[in-house]
Amino acid sequence: MAKISLGKGINMGLRAAMENDSKVLIMGEDIGKLGGVFRVTEGLQKDFGEDRVIDTPLAESGIIGTAVGLALRGYRPVCEIQFDGFVFPAYDQIVSQVAKIHYRSMGKLKMPIVIRIPFGGGIGAVEHHSESPETLFAHVAGLKVVACSDPVDAYWMIQQAISSDDPIVFFEPKRRYHEKAELSEDTANAPFPLHQAKVVREGTDATLFCYGPMVKTCVQAAEAAVEDGRNLEVVDLRSIAPLDLATIFASVKKTRRAVVVHEAPLSLGPGSELAARVTEECFYHLEAPVLRVAGYDTPYPPSRMEEEYLPDLDRVLEGVDRVMGY
Amino acid sequence: MGIQQFRLPDVGEGLVEAEIVSWKVKVGDTVKLNDTIVEIETAKSLVELPVPFAGVVTELLVAEGETVDVGTPIISVQTAEATPGDLAPSAAGTGAEDMVPSLPDGEEIEAGKIGGAAPGGRTAVLVGYGPKTTEPKRRPRKGGSPVAAQPEVVPAPVVAAPEPSVAKSNEISGSVHVLAKPPVRKLAKDLGVELAAVTASGPGGVITRADVEGYSAPPVSAAGHIAAAAPVASGLGDTRIPIKGVQKVMAQAMVASAFTAPHVTEWITVDVSATMDLVERLKNDKAFRDLRVSPLLIVAKAVTLAARRTPIINAAWDEAAQEIVLKGSVNLGIAAATPRGLIVPNIKGAESLTLPDLCAALNNLVAVAREGKTQPADQAGGSFTITNVGVFGVDAGTPIINPGEAAILAFGAVRKQPWVVDDEIVPRWITTLALSFDHRLIDGEKGSTFLADVAAILEDPARALMF
Repeated sequence: MAKISLGKGINMGLRAAMENDSKVLIMGEDIGKLGGVFRVTEGLQKDFGEDRVIDTPLAESGIIGTAVGLALRGYRPVCEIQFDGFVFPAYDQIVSQVAKIHYRSMGKLKMPIVIRIPFGGGIGAVEHHSESPETLFAHVAGLKVVACSDPVDAYWMIQQAISSDDPIVFFEPKRRYHEKAELSEDTANAPFPLHQAKVVREGTDATLFCYGPMVKTCVQAAEAAVEDGRNLEVVDLRSIAPLDLATIFASVKKTRRAVVVHEAPLSLGPGSELAARVTEECFYHLEAPVLRVAGYDTPYPPSRMEEEYLPDLDRVLEGVDRVMGY
Repeated sequence: MGIQQFRLPDVGEGLVEAEIVSWKVKVGDTVKLNDTIVEIETAKSLVELPVPFAGVVTELLVAEGETVDVGTPIISVQTAEATPGDLAPSAAGTGAEDMVPSLPDGEEIEAGKIGGAAPGGRTAVLVGYGPKTTEPKRRPRKGGSPVAAQPEVVPAPVVAAPEPSVAKSNEISGSVHVLAKPPVRKLAKDLGVELAAVTASGPGGVITRADVEGYSAPPVSAAGHIAAAAPVASGLGDTRIPIKGVQKVMAQAMVASAFTAPHVTEWITVDVSATMDLVERLKNDKAFRDLRVSPLLIVAKAVTLAARRTPIINAAWDEAAQEIVLKGSVNLGIAAATPRGLIVPNIKGAESLTLPDLCAALNNLVAVAREGKTQPADQAGGSFTITNVGVFGVDAGTPIINPGEAAILAFGAVRKQPWVVDDEIVPRWITTLALSFDHRLIDGEKGSTFLADVAAILEDPARALMF
């Protein structure tokens, strides 16, 4: 048992994937010699060489376009987009090519590409460095979107994503890169399917649905809610597209109240789809409407104001108060 | 005192090297914090670098025109104090040492390096102040604990609902929760109906609006109510209503009482005109400003006073111990017809309350009962009950004693009737009081004394001074 950080979990997962499959390449800005701005790819170029760990020009569209070509020739590229707000030059390639080729070729061609994006705020960074664009990808048919929230999931999920024949946008909670957890290395297989939600805290009174950086926040809120006499369930969605509806519905039918928490802006965020699905499927079970605690419908603010923007313990608990008030 | 070395920082994201273009200081110069010391050229631009400490320049470690890796020491400064914490975040964390694996994997990382500690309880990162490492604390809540402030919003603990009718909903949810659409839940809440107790008739075990309305109809009139609602009652045969909830509790209590305690009922007709005058006066008294004063208040007060003279009225028969228990205080029960049926909440220690306090307690008891929010604790521990059948327009009856008590007083309708006063027939406010008592404890004399005392106070409230 070793205690590793979330960043180290990704690093170890990438290393394992590269060791297991010589077709796995990783590419991105400053990922080779520097080891990535978060040091997530540290040491990989040294061990696997410049042909498999590729420092690219500062051109996101080129990174993804190159990866499309490599994927067509049988490689499994793992692309790093340095920060969430930098992905948009690549959005055309992702939406128009990565997401469509499998469909366009009637299933003859696969796109086993993983696009890693450190996302979300909370590190006091400048503009373009703290965004949560996950629904922009989740809304695109042909893409799968997942987010890890802890080191162990990070280690396994990146490997599962790389071994998937479908393109996967892989969101990493950048403010949790340095959070640590025990990783049991004697486990040979991933303990959990990639697109399955996980109940990280059992409860009876209401369910907090979350993913990525908000999982820790929600678990803390659930612990704080104990002093209010409330026993909250916390579900880490892990997969935003597709949603694991079975786990979501089971939890709502159990607790009868749901609050979705994410950093992404409220309107048309992941919570909107989840609320709609739950309302359709669990209508008779609901004691209250599905509520959302989310970022505001504004651009991400300057870093000194980000604590006002990000859902925190109190915002989550206020959401719980509201959902319990019906 | 110490020599500080300034390492070439990463001024952009992921810069690995830069050329020293020109030095702005020379050996022996005194520099202040953030003085510009050097101009460098990176892959992106020409940049002037400030020095992150103050002191005297002792050495320039790199010549102009040379290209060096990020993290290479470029200048030495003799400082007054050696405080690595002074290092600006931009200068920290990208030293050449970072090229060797520095991913956190168990060991502590040096402060200022990526993944290490940063000022303000944060973790150092390349871009930004870094994520906070401090544990979040919640703000104090407005209005105290939400549980205490709004108890009604906290879901009742799901008492295992062993209702067989609800069980059929379980095959869907795999839980004991009831199924109902939101407006039906609202209706049930408004009517004070516990959904778990309602028989579901909808598809898949869903409780319908009609289920809730049917359940919430007062038990006494339920049969008539349903028959009336049925379009062709005669052609539909019998209506069968499951016995449960409040009705079941009432039935058990009445059977237990009626066939255990030998009941004797006495009644008395009394002129309560003086009481009615008193009620009118109290309504205008500022002590009762926000209260609803009714004749029932005076009856309640009279009962507590009369019980003082006849304590056996406020007592219980303890069959197991073979003892009679004279109660220390009068927990005065008021029988209330609620949407859910008959319940008997009681006012604890009624004998010790002033008249305004007793009035407030009565008002509150009625309001809570009407909302269907009477708690079990409010109904427990009663010692004497008043049933105000007069509100239904009847004169009297033979009430059945609430189990665990010794007597019950029925207060009939108060109406104007011809009454003989000084040999003349005049219209007066007349009512009938009926007292049922448990003849195991209370003999005819005691019962009669108590009833006559209550009647005397109502006839002339001034007599209350004698008790």
